[in-house]
Amino acid sequence: MTTRRTVIAGAAGAGVAAVGGAVGYRAWRDREPASPAAQDNEGRLLWRNWSGIQNAYPQQRAAPDGEEALVGILKSAPGPVRPVGAGHSFTPLVPTTGTLLTLDRMSGLVSHDAANHRATVRAGTRLGDLGPALAAIGQEMANLPDINKQSLGGALGTGTHGTGRTLKAIHGDVIAFRLATPKGDVIACDRTTNADIFHAARVNLGAFGAVSEVTLQNQPLKRVLKRTTAHQLDAIIEDWPNLIAQHRNVEFYAIPFTGLAALITVDETDRPVSPRGPDADVDAVMELKALRDLTGFLPGVRRSLAQSAFKDAPPEEAVDEGWKLLSNERPVRFNEMEYHLPLDVQMTALREVIAAIEKHRPDVFFPIEARVIEKDDAWLSPFFERVSGSIAVHAYYKDDYRFLFDLVEPILRKHGGRPHWGKLHSLKAADFATLYPRFKDAAAARETLDPEGRMLNDHLRAVFIDG
Amino acid sequence: MRRIATATALALMAACTPSAPQRTPAEAAAHALTLTPKDARLADLYAQSCKTCHTVLDTSAPLTGDRDAWDARWKKGKPALLTSTVGGLGGMPAGGQCFSCTPADYEALIAFMADREH
Repeated sequence: MTTRRTVIAGAAGAGVAAVGGAVGYRAWRDREPASPAAQDNEGRLLWRNWSGIQNAYPQQRAAPDGEEALVGILKSAPGPVRPVGAGHSFTPLVPTTGTLLTLDRMSGLVSHDAANHRATVRAGTRLGDLGPALAAIGQEMANLPDINKQSLGGALGTGTHGTGRTLKAIHGDVIAFRLATPKGDVIACDRTTNADIFHAARVNLGAFGAVSEVTLQNQPLKRVLKRTTAHQLDAIIEDWPNLIAQHRNVEFYAIPFTGLAALITVDETDRPVSPRGPDADVDAVMELKALRDLTGFLPGVRRSLAQSAFKDAPPEEAVDEGWKLLSNERPVRFNEMEYHLPLDVQMTALREVIAAIEKHRPDVFFPIEARVIEKDDAWLSPFFERVSGSIAVHAYYKDDYRFLFDLVEPILRKHGGRPHWGKLHSLKAADFATLYPRFKDAAAARETLDPEGRMLNDHLRAVFIDG
Repeated sequence: MRRIATATALALMAACTPSAPQRTPAEAAAHALTLTPKDARLADLYAQSCKTCHTVLDTSAPLTGDRDAWDARWKKGKPALLTSTVGGLGGMPAGGQCFSCTPADYEALIAFMADREH
Protein backbone atom coordinates (compact mmCIF):
# COMPACT_ATOMS: atom_id res chain seq x y z
CA MET A 1 0.00 0.00 0.00
CA THR A 2 1.24 3.49 -0.80
CA THR A 3 1.67 5.49 2.37
CA ARG A 4 1.34 9.25 2.72
CA ARG A 5 5.01 9.45 3.54
CA THR A 6 5.96 7.49 0.43
CA VAL A 7 4.03 9.87 -1.79
CA ILE A 8 5.55 12.95 -0.20
CA ALA A 9 9.03 11.47 -0.23
CA GLY A 10 8.48 10.56 -3.86
CA ALA A 11 7.75 14.15 -4.65
CA ALA A 12 11.10 15.13 -3.24
CA GLY A 13 12.80 12.37 -5.18
CA ALA A 14 11.26 13.56 -8.40
CA GLY A 15 12.94 16.88 -7.97
CA VAL A 16 9.90 18.87 -6.95
CA ALA A 17 11.90 20.22 -4.05
CA ALA A 18 14.24 21.98 -6.38
CA VAL A 19 11.33 23.79 -8.02
CA GLY A 20 9.36 24.42 -4.87
CA GLY A 21 12.01 26.34 -3.04
CA ALA A 22 15.67 26.38 -2.15
CA VAL A 23 16.83 24.27 0.74
CA GLY A 24 18.43 27.31 2.34
CA TYR A 25 15.20 29.24 2.27
CA ARG A 26 13.33 26.40 3.93
CA ALA A 27 15.98 26.12 6.64
CA TRP A 28 15.69 29.87 7.27
CA ARG A 29 11.93 29.65 7.54
CA ASP A 30 12.18 26.66 9.90
CA ARG A 31 14.37 28.43 12.43
CA GLU A 32 13.14 28.55 16.04
CA PRO A 33 11.65 31.98 16.81
CA ALA A 34 13.94 34.00 19.07
CA SER A 35 12.96 34.00 22.72
CA PRO A 36 13.27 37.09 24.92
CA ALA A 37 15.83 36.83 27.73
CA ALA A 38 14.91 34.38 30.49
CA GLN A 39 15.23 37.19 33.03
CA ASP A 40 15.14 40.97 32.62
CA ASN A 41 17.68 43.46 33.98
CA GLU A 42 15.98 43.39 37.36
CA GLY A 43 16.03 39.61 37.58
CA ARG A 44 12.34 39.11 36.84
CA LEU A 45 11.54 35.80 35.21
CA LEU A 46 10.09 35.71 31.69
CA TRP A 47 6.46 34.65 31.17
CA ARG A 48 5.32 33.62 27.68
CA ASN A 49 2.07 32.20 26.41
CA TRP A 50 1.84 28.69 24.93
CA SER A 51 2.56 29.77 21.36
CA GLY A 52 5.29 32.23 22.37
CA ILE A 53 3.88 35.49 20.97
CA GLN A 54 2.91 37.12 24.29
CA ASN A 55 5.62 37.99 26.80
CA ALA A 56 5.95 39.70 30.16
CA TYR A 57 8.27 40.08 33.16
CA PRO A 58 5.88 40.22 36.11
CA GLN A 59 7.11 41.98 39.23
CA GLN A 60 5.48 39.31 41.40
CA ARG A 61 4.11 35.80 40.98
CA ALA A 62 1.35 34.77 43.34
CA ALA A 63 -0.05 31.29 43.98
CA PRO A 64 -2.65 31.52 46.77
CA ASP A 65 -3.79 28.35 48.53
CA GLY A 66 -7.31 29.54 49.36
CA GLU A 67 -9.87 32.33 49.09
CA GLU A 68 -8.47 34.38 51.98
CA ALA A 69 -5.03 34.56 50.40
CA LEU A 70 -6.60 35.14 46.99
CA VAL A 71 -8.56 38.15 48.20
CA GLY A 72 -5.45 39.59 49.83
CA ILE A 73 -3.58 39.40 46.53
CA LEU A 74 -6.42 40.95 44.56
CA LYS A 75 -6.61 43.85 47.04
CA SER A 76 -2.96 44.56 47.68
CA ALA A 77 -0.49 42.95 45.26
CA PRO A 78 1.14 45.16 42.63
CA GLY A 79 -1.22 45.77 39.72
CA PRO A 80 -2.29 44.95 37.17
CA VAL A 81 -3.18 41.61 38.72
CA ARG A 82 -3.59 39.16 35.87
CA PRO A 83 -4.84 35.60 36.38
CA VAL A 84 -3.20 32.92 34.24
CA GLY A 85 -4.40 29.37 33.70
CA ALA A 86 -2.25 27.34 31.34
CA GLY A 87 -1.27 30.30 29.16
CA HIS A 88 -3.16 29.00 26.13
CA SER A 89 -4.65 32.36 25.11
CA PHE A 90 -3.15 33.96 22.04
CA THR A 91 -4.53 37.40 22.88
CA PRO A 92 -2.63 39.48 25.48
CA LEU A 93 -5.02 38.70 28.33
CA VAL A 94 -2.21 37.79 30.71
CA PRO A 95 0.84 40.07 30.22
CA THR A 96 1.44 42.27 33.25
CA THR A 97 4.26 44.19 34.84
CA GLY A 98 2.45 43.76 38.17
CA THR A 99 1.27 40.43 39.55
CA LEU A 100 0.89 37.15 37.69
CA LEU A 101 -1.75 35.16 39.57
CA THR A 102 -1.98 31.39 39.22
CA LEU A 103 -4.63 29.27 40.94
CA ASP A 104 -2.62 26.07 40.55
CA ARG A 105 -2.76 25.58 44.34
CA MET A 106 -6.54 25.96 44.31
CA SER A 107 -7.45 22.83 42.41
CA GLY A 108 -9.45 19.64 42.79
CA LEU A 109 -12.95 18.50 43.54
CA VAL A 110 -14.72 20.20 46.48
CA SER A 111 -18.00 18.26 46.64
CA HIS A 112 -20.57 16.62 44.42
CA ASP A 113 -24.29 15.95 44.15
CA ALA A 114 -24.68 12.41 42.82
CA ALA A 115 -28.44 12.61 42.32
CA ASN A 116 -28.29 15.68 40.10
CA HIS A 117 -24.89 14.99 38.52
CA ARG A 118 -23.36 18.20 39.79
CA ALA A 119 -19.85 18.83 41.05
CA THR A 120 -18.17 21.81 42.69
CA VAL A 121 -14.59 22.23 41.57
CA ARG A 122 -11.80 24.70 42.40
CA ALA A 123 -11.09 26.97 39.47
CA GLY A 124 -7.39 26.13 39.23
CA THR A 125 -8.13 22.53 38.25
CA ARG A 126 -6.73 21.64 34.83
CA LEU A 127 -9.31 20.12 32.49
CA GLY A 128 -7.03 17.14 31.96
CA ASP A 129 -7.21 16.38 35.67
CA LEU A 130 -10.92 17.09 35.92
CA GLY A 131 -11.89 14.26 33.54
CA PRO A 132 -10.60 11.41 35.73
CA ALA A 133 -11.75 13.17 38.93
CA LEU A 134 -15.32 13.37 37.61
CA ALA A 135 -15.17 9.84 36.20
CA ALA A 136 -14.34 8.59 39.71
CA ILE A 137 -17.72 9.90 40.89
CA GLY A 138 -19.58 8.65 37.79
CA GLN A 139 -19.84 12.03 36.09
CA GLU A 140 -18.46 13.76 33.02
CA MET A 141 -18.64 17.20 31.48
CA ALA A 142 -21.02 17.19 28.54
CA ASN A 143 -18.33 18.54 26.28
CA LEU A 144 -14.63 19.33 26.22
CA PRO A 145 -12.39 21.52 24.07
CA ASP A 146 -9.80 20.21 21.62
CA ILE A 147 -7.01 20.73 24.18
CA ASN A 148 -7.37 19.88 27.88
CA LYS A 149 -4.31 21.56 29.39
CA GLN A 150 -6.29 24.67 30.33
CA SER A 151 -7.42 25.46 33.85
CA LEU A 152 -11.17 25.42 34.46
CA GLY A 153 -11.08 29.11 35.41
CA GLY A 154 -9.19 30.04 32.26
CA ALA A 155 -11.47 28.00 30.03
CA LEU A 156 -14.58 29.63 31.53
CA GLY A 157 -13.07 33.08 31.41
CA THR A 158 -12.43 32.93 27.68
CA GLY A 159 -15.59 31.15 26.54
CA THR A 160 -13.73 27.97 25.62
CA HIS A 161 -15.90 25.37 23.89
CA GLY A 162 -16.09 22.01 22.21
CA THR A 163 -18.45 21.08 19.40
CA GLY A 164 -21.98 19.71 19.07
CA ARG A 165 -25.26 21.23 17.89
CA THR A 166 -27.00 20.64 21.25
CA LEU A 167 -23.95 21.14 23.45
CA LYS A 168 -23.09 24.45 25.09
CA ALA A 169 -19.64 25.87 25.70
CA ILE A 170 -18.19 25.00 29.10
CA HIS A 171 -19.59 28.12 30.80
CA GLY A 172 -23.07 27.14 29.56
CA ASP A 173 -23.10 24.29 32.07
CA VAL A 174 -22.02 26.42 35.04
CA ILE A 175 -24.82 26.73 37.59
CA ALA A 176 -22.96 28.64 40.32
CA PHE A 177 -19.56 30.15 41.08
CA ARG A 178 -17.70 32.13 43.73
CA LEU A 179 -15.95 35.31 42.62
CA ALA A 180 -13.19 36.98 44.64
CA THR A 181 -12.94 40.69 43.84
CA PRO A 182 -10.31 43.44 44.16
CA LYS A 183 -12.62 45.18 46.65
CA GLY A 184 -12.05 42.28 49.02
CA ASP A 185 -15.35 40.42 48.67
CA VAL A 186 -16.07 36.81 47.80
CA ILE A 187 -19.43 36.76 46.02
CA ALA A 188 -21.51 33.61 45.60
CA CYS A 189 -23.51 33.76 42.35
CA ASP A 190 -26.16 31.69 40.64
CA ARG A 191 -29.32 32.35 38.64
CA THR A 192 -31.17 33.67 41.69
CA THR A 193 -28.39 35.00 43.96
CA ASN A 194 -26.42 37.94 42.55
CA ALA A 195 -27.91 37.01 39.20
CA ASP A 196 -26.49 40.01 37.33
CA ILE A 197 -22.95 39.08 38.34
CA PHE A 198 -23.70 35.48 37.43
CA HIS A 199 -24.66 36.54 33.90
CA ALA A 200 -21.96 39.20 33.53
CA ALA A 201 -18.99 37.23 34.86
CA ARG A 202 -19.55 33.64 33.75
CA VAL A 203 -17.36 34.59 30.78
CA ASN A 204 -15.09 37.15 32.45
CA LEU A 205 -11.66 37.39 30.76
CA GLY A 206 -10.19 37.36 34.26
CA ALA A 207 -11.21 41.01 34.47
CA PHE A 208 -13.94 40.94 37.13
CA GLY A 209 -11.80 39.43 39.90
CA ALA A 210 -10.90 35.77 40.12
CA VAL A 211 -13.34 32.86 40.16
CA SER A 212 -12.34 30.52 42.98
CA GLU A 213 -14.93 27.72 42.76
CA VAL A 214 -17.38 26.57 40.12
CA THR A 215 -20.39 24.26 40.27
CA LEU A 216 -20.86 22.35 37.03
CA GLN A 217 -23.96 20.64 35.73
CA ASN A 218 -22.47 17.39 34.50
CA GLN A 219 -24.00 14.21 33.10
CA PRO A 220 -23.62 10.51 33.88
CA LEU A 221 -20.38 9.02 32.58
CA LYS A 222 -20.88 7.59 29.08
CA ARG A 223 -19.00 5.56 26.55
CA VAL A 224 -18.59 7.07 23.09
CA LEU A 225 -17.37 6.08 19.66
CA LYS A 226 -14.97 8.52 18.02
CA ARG A 227 -14.48 8.21 14.27
CA THR A 228 -12.03 10.16 12.11
CA THR A 229 -12.47 9.83 8.36
CA ALA A 230 -11.08 11.51 5.23
CA HIS A 231 -13.47 13.06 2.70
CA GLN A 232 -13.65 15.44 -0.21
CA LEU A 233 -14.07 18.93 1.26
CA ASP A 234 -16.93 19.97 -1.01
CA ALA A 235 -18.95 16.93 0.04
CA ILE A 236 -18.50 17.67 3.74
CA ILE A 237 -19.47 21.32 3.31
CA GLU A 238 -22.62 20.29 1.44
CA ASP A 239 -23.49 17.69 4.06
CA TRP A 240 -22.71 19.85 7.11
CA PRO A 241 -26.37 20.55 8.06
CA ASN A 242 -27.06 16.81 8.10
CA LEU A 243 -23.88 15.98 9.96
CA ILE A 244 -24.57 18.39 12.80
CA ALA A 245 -28.07 16.95 13.14
CA GLN A 246 -26.87 13.35 13.13
CA HIS A 247 -23.94 13.38 15.55
CA ARG A 248 -23.59 14.35 19.21
CA ASN A 249 -20.22 15.94 18.55
CA VAL A 250 -19.04 16.74 15.04
CA GLU A 251 -16.32 18.87 13.52
CA PHE A 252 -14.15 18.86 10.45
CA TYR A 253 -10.75 20.10 9.43
CA ALA A 254 -10.63 21.66 5.97
CA ILE A 255 -7.16 21.18 4.54
CA PRO A 256 -6.27 24.15 2.32
CA PHE A 257 -4.74 23.49 -1.12
CA THR A 258 -5.90 19.87 -1.10
CA GLY A 259 -9.69 19.76 -1.58
CA LEU A 260 -9.80 17.38 1.39
CA ALA A 261 -11.31 17.35 4.86
CA ALA A 262 -10.93 15.23 7.98
CA LEU A 263 -14.29 14.60 9.66
CA ILE A 264 -14.46 13.75 13.38
CA THR A 265 -17.68 12.45 14.92
CA VAL A 266 -18.39 11.34 18.49
CA ASP A 267 -21.55 9.43 19.43
CA GLU A 268 -22.70 7.42 22.43
CA THR A 269 -22.29 3.68 22.04
CA ASP A 270 -22.60 0.32 23.79
CA ARG A 271 -19.62 -1.13 21.95
CA PRO A 272 -16.80 -2.55 24.08
CA VAL A 273 -13.90 -0.29 24.93
CA SER A 274 -11.30 0.05 22.20
CA PRO A 275 -8.79 2.65 23.41
CA ARG A 276 -7.40 5.30 21.09
CA GLY A 277 -4.18 4.36 19.38
CA PRO A 278 -1.01 6.41 19.15
CA ASP A 279 -1.64 9.98 18.05
CA ALA A 280 -1.60 10.34 14.26
CA ASP A 281 -2.38 14.05 14.07
CA VAL A 282 1.19 15.25 14.56
CA ASP A 283 2.45 13.09 11.70
CA ALA A 284 -0.39 14.28 9.47
CA VAL A 285 0.28 17.95 10.21
CA MET A 286 4.01 17.60 9.64
CA GLU A 287 3.34 15.74 6.39
CA LEU A 288 1.19 18.68 5.29
CA LYS A 289 4.09 20.94 6.21
CA ALA A 290 6.47 18.79 4.15
CA LEU A 291 4.05 19.03 1.25
CA ARG A 292 3.97 22.82 1.65
CA ASP A 293 7.76 22.96 1.77
CA LEU A 294 8.10 20.83 -1.36
CA THR A 295 5.26 22.12 -3.51
CA GLY A 296 4.15 25.40 -1.96
CA PHE A 297 4.53 27.29 -5.22
CA LEU A 298 2.99 24.56 -7.38
CA PRO A 299 -0.63 24.42 -6.18
CA GLY A 300 -1.70 21.91 -8.82
CA VAL A 301 1.05 19.49 -7.84
CA ARG A 302 0.33 20.09 -4.15
CA ARG A 303 -3.33 19.23 -4.57
CA SER A 304 -2.63 16.18 -6.68
CA LEU A 305 -0.06 14.80 -4.25
CA ALA A 306 -2.31 15.43 -1.27
CA GLN A 307 -5.22 13.67 -2.94
CA SER A 308 -2.99 10.68 -3.62
CA ALA A 309 -1.57 10.69 -0.12
CA PHE A 310 -4.64 11.32 2.02
CA LYS A 311 -7.87 10.53 0.19
CA ASP A 312 -7.84 6.80 0.96
CA ALA A 313 -6.59 7.16 4.51
CA PRO A 314 -8.26 4.42 6.56
CA PRO A 315 -10.83 5.48 9.19
CA GLU A 316 -9.61 5.73 12.77
CA GLU A 317 -11.97 4.52 15.50
CA ALA A 318 -11.82 4.42 19.27
CA VAL A 319 -14.38 3.56 21.95
CA ASP A 320 -13.92 4.86 25.48
CA GLU A 321 -15.22 7.32 28.05
CA GLY A 322 -15.67 10.77 26.54
CA TRP A 323 -13.03 12.54 28.63
CA LYS A 324 -10.42 10.20 27.14
CA LEU A 325 -11.38 10.90 23.54
CA LEU A 326 -12.73 14.44 23.15
CA SER A 327 -9.46 16.30 23.78
CA ASN A 328 -6.12 15.80 22.10
CA GLU A 329 -2.43 16.34 22.70
CA ARG A 330 -1.17 19.21 20.53
CA PRO A 331 2.63 19.13 20.70
CA VAL A 332 2.91 21.12 17.47
CA ARG A 333 2.43 24.71 18.56
CA PHE A 334 0.53 27.27 16.50
CA ASN A 335 -1.17 30.66 16.58
CA GLU A 336 -4.88 30.85 15.96
CA MET A 337 -7.82 33.08 15.13
CA GLU A 338 -11.34 31.78 15.72
CA TYR A 339 -14.63 33.53 15.15
CA HIS A 340 -18.14 32.32 15.96
CA LEU A 341 -20.66 33.08 13.24
CA PRO A 342 -24.38 32.68 12.69
CA LEU A 343 -24.72 29.03 11.72
CA ASP A 344 -26.43 29.79 8.40
CA VAL A 345 -23.41 31.70 7.04
CA GLN A 346 -20.67 29.50 8.47
CA MET A 347 -20.02 27.45 5.34
CA THR A 348 -20.21 30.51 3.05
CA ALA A 349 -17.59 32.22 5.20
CA LEU A 350 -15.46 29.07 5.26
CA ARG A 351 -15.43 28.87 1.46
CA GLU A 352 -14.37 32.51 1.29
CA VAL A 353 -11.58 31.99 3.84
CA ILE A 354 -10.23 28.97 1.99
CA ALA A 355 -10.39 30.77 -1.36
CA ALA A 356 -8.55 33.80 0.04
CA ILE A 357 -5.81 31.66 1.59
CA GLU A 358 -5.38 29.56 -1.53
CA LYS A 359 -5.14 32.73 -3.64
CA HIS A 360 -2.77 34.73 -1.45
CA ARG A 361 -0.96 32.53 1.09
CA PRO A 362 0.68 29.37 -0.28
CA ASP A 363 2.69 29.12 2.95
CA VAL A 364 -0.38 28.09 4.96
CA PHE A 365 -0.65 24.37 5.63
CA PHE A 366 -2.47 23.96 8.95
CA PRO A 367 -6.03 22.59 8.62
CA ILE A 368 -8.93 24.97 9.27
CA GLU A 369 -11.36 23.80 11.95
CA ALA A 370 -15.16 24.07 11.71
CA ARG A 371 -17.35 23.41 14.76
CA VAL A 372 -20.89 24.08 16.01
CA ILE A 373 -21.97 25.32 19.47
CA GLU A 374 -25.37 25.67 21.17
CA LYS A 375 -26.43 29.15 22.31
CA ASP A 376 -26.37 30.30 25.95
CA ASP A 377 -27.20 33.40 27.97
CA ALA A 378 -23.91 34.60 29.50
CA TRP A 379 -23.60 38.28 28.60
CA LEU A 380 -20.03 38.05 27.27
CA SER A 381 -20.45 34.65 25.68
CA PRO A 382 -19.67 34.60 21.94
CA PHE A 383 -22.68 32.27 21.77
CA PHE A 384 -25.02 34.69 23.53
CA GLU A 385 -28.53 33.94 22.26
CA ARG A 386 -27.11 32.56 19.02
CA VAL A 387 -26.42 29.02 17.82
CA SER A 388 -22.98 29.41 16.31
CA GLY A 389 -20.75 27.86 13.71
CA SER A 390 -17.09 28.50 14.41
CA ILE A 391 -14.17 28.81 12.02
CA ALA A 392 -10.63 28.52 13.41
CA VAL A 393 -7.60 29.31 11.25
CA HIS A 394 -4.15 28.30 12.46
CA ALA A 395 -0.58 29.28 11.64
CA TYR A 396 2.43 27.14 12.55
CA TYR A 397 4.25 28.80 15.45
CA LYS A 398 7.34 29.42 13.33
CA ASP A 399 5.33 31.01 10.50
CA ASP A 400 4.05 34.54 9.93
CA TYR A 401 0.52 34.86 11.32
CA ARG A 402 -0.31 38.41 10.22
CA PHE A 403 -2.49 37.06 7.41
CA LEU A 404 -5.00 36.15 10.10
CA PHE A 405 -5.64 39.87 10.62
CA ASP A 406 -5.16 41.08 7.04
CA LEU A 407 -6.87 38.33 5.10
CA VAL A 408 -9.05 36.19 7.35
CA GLU A 409 -10.50 38.54 9.96
CA PRO A 410 -12.25 40.87 7.45
CA ILE A 411 -14.16 37.89 6.05
CA LEU A 412 -15.19 36.61 9.47
CA ARG A 413 -16.24 40.10 10.61
CA LYS A 414 -18.22 40.70 7.41
CA HIS A 415 -20.36 37.69 8.27
CA GLY A 416 -21.15 38.92 11.77
CA GLY A 417 -18.61 36.83 13.66
CA ARG A 418 -17.76 37.27 17.31
CA PRO A 419 -14.14 36.43 18.19
CA HIS A 420 -13.05 33.83 20.70
CA TRP A 421 -11.78 35.90 23.65
CA GLY A 422 -8.54 33.95 23.91
CA LYS A 423 -7.72 33.79 20.20
CA LEU A 424 -6.31 36.47 17.96
CA HIS A 425 -8.56 39.39 17.04
CA SER A 426 -8.25 43.14 16.63
CA LEU A 427 -11.57 44.24 18.13
CA LYS A 428 -12.07 46.95 20.75
CA ALA A 429 -14.81 48.09 23.13
CA ALA A 430 -16.83 49.90 20.45
CA ASP A 431 -16.88 46.76 18.29
CA PHE A 432 -17.99 44.57 21.16
CA ALA A 433 -20.75 47.01 22.05
CA THR A 434 -22.31 46.35 18.64
CA LEU A 435 -21.73 42.58 18.70
CA TYR A 436 -22.94 41.83 22.23
CA PRO A 437 -26.42 43.09 23.23
CA ARG A 438 -25.49 43.12 26.95
CA PHE A 439 -21.88 44.29 26.56
CA LYS A 440 -22.42 47.66 28.27
CA ASP A 441 -24.17 45.96 31.18
CA ALA A 442 -21.28 43.54 31.57
CA ALA A 443 -18.72 46.37 31.39
CA ALA A 444 -20.65 48.31 34.04
CA ALA A 445 -20.75 45.26 36.31
CA ARG A 446 -17.00 44.84 35.85
CA GLU A 447 -16.35 48.44 36.83
CA THR A 448 -18.48 48.09 39.95
CA LEU A 449 -16.48 45.05 41.06
CA ASP A 450 -13.10 46.58 40.14
CA PRO A 451 -13.52 50.38 40.27
CA GLU A 452 -9.77 51.04 40.33
CA GLY A 453 -9.10 48.87 37.29
CA ARG A 454 -6.65 46.64 39.14
CA MET A 455 -7.49 43.70 36.86
CA LEU A 456 -6.91 45.64 33.61
CA ASN A 457 -3.79 45.50 31.47
CA ASP A 458 -3.57 47.52 28.25
CA HIS A 459 -5.39 44.89 26.19
CA LEU A 460 -8.31 44.66 28.61
CA ARG A 461 -8.54 48.43 28.93
CA ALA A 462 -9.06 48.54 25.15
CA VAL A 463 -11.62 45.73 25.33
CA PHE A 464 -13.71 47.27 28.11
CA ILE A 465 -13.07 51.02 28.08
CA ASP A 466 -10.94 52.81 25.52
CA GLY A 467 -11.52 51.04 22.24
CA MET B 1 32.41 -26.89 32.52
CA ARG B 2 34.50 -23.85 31.58
CA ARG B 3 31.63 -22.62 29.41
CA ILE B 4 29.22 -22.90 32.35
CA ALA B 5 31.65 -21.04 34.60
CA THR B 6 32.07 -18.27 32.04
CA ALA B 7 28.31 -17.96 31.57
CA THR B 8 27.80 -17.82 35.32
CA ALA B 9 30.48 -15.16 35.69
CA LEU B 10 28.91 -13.07 32.90
CA ALA B 11 25.47 -13.42 34.45
CA LEU B 12 26.81 -12.28 37.82
CA MET B 13 28.58 -9.35 36.20
CA ALA B 14 25.41 -8.35 34.42
CA ALA B 15 23.48 -8.55 37.65
CA CYS B 16 26.01 -6.34 39.41
CA THR B 17 26.35 -3.67 36.67
CA PRO B 18 23.87 -0.81 37.13
CA SER B 19 22.07 -0.10 33.90
CA ALA B 20 18.71 1.36 32.93
CA PRO B 21 16.17 -1.35 32.17
CA GLN B 22 15.21 -1.63 28.51
CA ARG B 23 11.58 -0.61 28.23
CA THR B 24 9.18 -0.32 25.35
CA PRO B 25 7.78 3.20 24.86
CA ALA B 26 4.52 2.13 26.51
CA GLU B 27 6.41 0.65 29.46
CA ALA B 28 8.48 3.81 29.76
CA ALA B 29 5.29 5.89 29.88
CA ALA B 30 3.79 3.58 32.50
CA HIS B 31 7.01 3.84 34.52
CA ALA B 32 6.95 7.63 34.26
CA LEU B 33 3.49 7.67 35.82
CA THR B 34 4.86 5.96 38.94
CA LEU B 35 7.44 8.66 39.64
CA THR B 36 7.00 11.81 41.71
CA PRO B 37 9.46 14.19 43.36
CA LYS B 38 10.12 13.49 47.03
CA ASP B 39 9.82 17.15 48.00
CA ALA B 40 6.15 17.99 48.57
CA ARG B 41 6.29 21.44 46.96
CA LEU B 42 8.08 20.09 43.88
CA ALA B 43 5.61 17.21 43.75
CA ASP B 44 2.70 19.66 43.56
CA LEU B 45 4.38 21.76 40.85
CA TYR B 46 5.25 18.63 38.91
CA ALA B 47 1.73 17.23 39.11
CA GLN B 48 0.16 20.49 37.89
CA SER B 49 2.47 21.11 34.97
CA CYS B 50 5.39 18.87 33.90
CA LYS B 51 3.53 15.60 34.45
CA THR B 52 0.76 16.46 32.00
CA CYS B 53 3.20 16.12 29.10
CA HIS B 54 6.25 14.22 30.40
CA THR B 55 4.24 11.07 31.18
CA VAL B 56 2.28 11.02 27.90
CA LEU B 57 3.79 9.40 24.81
CA ASP B 58 1.70 11.39 22.34
CA THR B 59 3.19 14.68 23.48
CA SER B 60 6.63 13.66 22.14
CA ALA B 61 8.15 15.09 25.35
CA PRO B 62 11.03 13.11 26.91
CA LEU B 63 9.44 10.88 29.53
CA THR B 64 10.16 11.29 33.21
CA GLY B 65 12.81 8.81 34.32
CA ASP B 66 13.84 7.88 30.76
CA ARG B 67 17.56 8.60 31.05
CA ASP B 68 18.26 7.68 27.46
CA ALA B 69 15.75 10.23 26.17
CA TRP B 70 17.28 12.89 28.39
CA ASP B 71 20.95 12.12 27.63
CA ALA B 72 21.34 14.52 24.70
CA ARG B 73 19.45 17.25 26.51
CA TRP B 74 21.41 16.81 29.73
CA LYS B 75 24.67 17.21 27.82
CA LYS B 76 23.65 20.78 26.93
CA GLY B 77 24.20 21.72 30.55
CA LYS B 78 21.90 23.09 33.22
CA PRO B 79 22.01 26.75 32.12
CA ALA B 80 20.95 25.85 28.57
CA LEU B 81 18.20 23.57 29.83
CA LEU B 82 16.90 26.29 32.12
CA THR B 83 16.87 28.83 29.28
CA SER B 84 14.98 26.41 27.00
CA THR B 85 12.50 25.70 29.76
CA VAL B 86 11.78 29.33 30.58
CA GLY B 87 11.55 30.47 26.96
CA GLY B 88 10.10 27.31 25.41
CA LEU B 89 11.56 25.25 22.59
CA GLY B 90 9.92 23.17 19.86
CA GLY B 91 6.86 21.50 21.35
CA MET B 92 7.83 22.60 24.87
CA PRO B 93 5.78 25.64 25.90
CA ALA B 94 7.46 28.41 27.86
CA GLY B 95 7.89 27.69 31.53
CA GLY B 96 6.43 24.24 31.04
CA GLN B 97 3.16 25.97 31.93
CA CYS B 98 4.33 26.21 35.55
CA PHE B 99 3.83 29.85 36.38
CA SER B 100 4.76 29.77 40.04
CA CYS B 101 8.02 27.90 39.45
CA THR B 102 11.26 29.67 40.36
CA PRO B 103 14.53 29.04 38.47
CA ALA B 104 15.58 26.75 41.33
CA ASP B 105 12.31 24.83 41.01
CA TYR B 106 12.88 24.37 37.28
CA GLU B 107 16.41 23.08 37.83
CA ALA B 108 15.21 20.61 40.44
CA LEU B 109 12.31 19.43 38.28
CA ILE B 110 14.56 18.97 35.24
CA ALA B 111 17.02 16.93 37.30
CA PHE B 112 14.16 14.82 38.65
CA MET B 113 12.68 14.13 35.21
CA ALA B 114 16.11 13.40 33.74
CA ASP B 115 16.80 10.95 36.58
CA ARG B 116 19.85 12.99 37.65
CA GLU B 117 18.80 14.03 41.11
CA HIS B 118 21.95 12.61 42.68
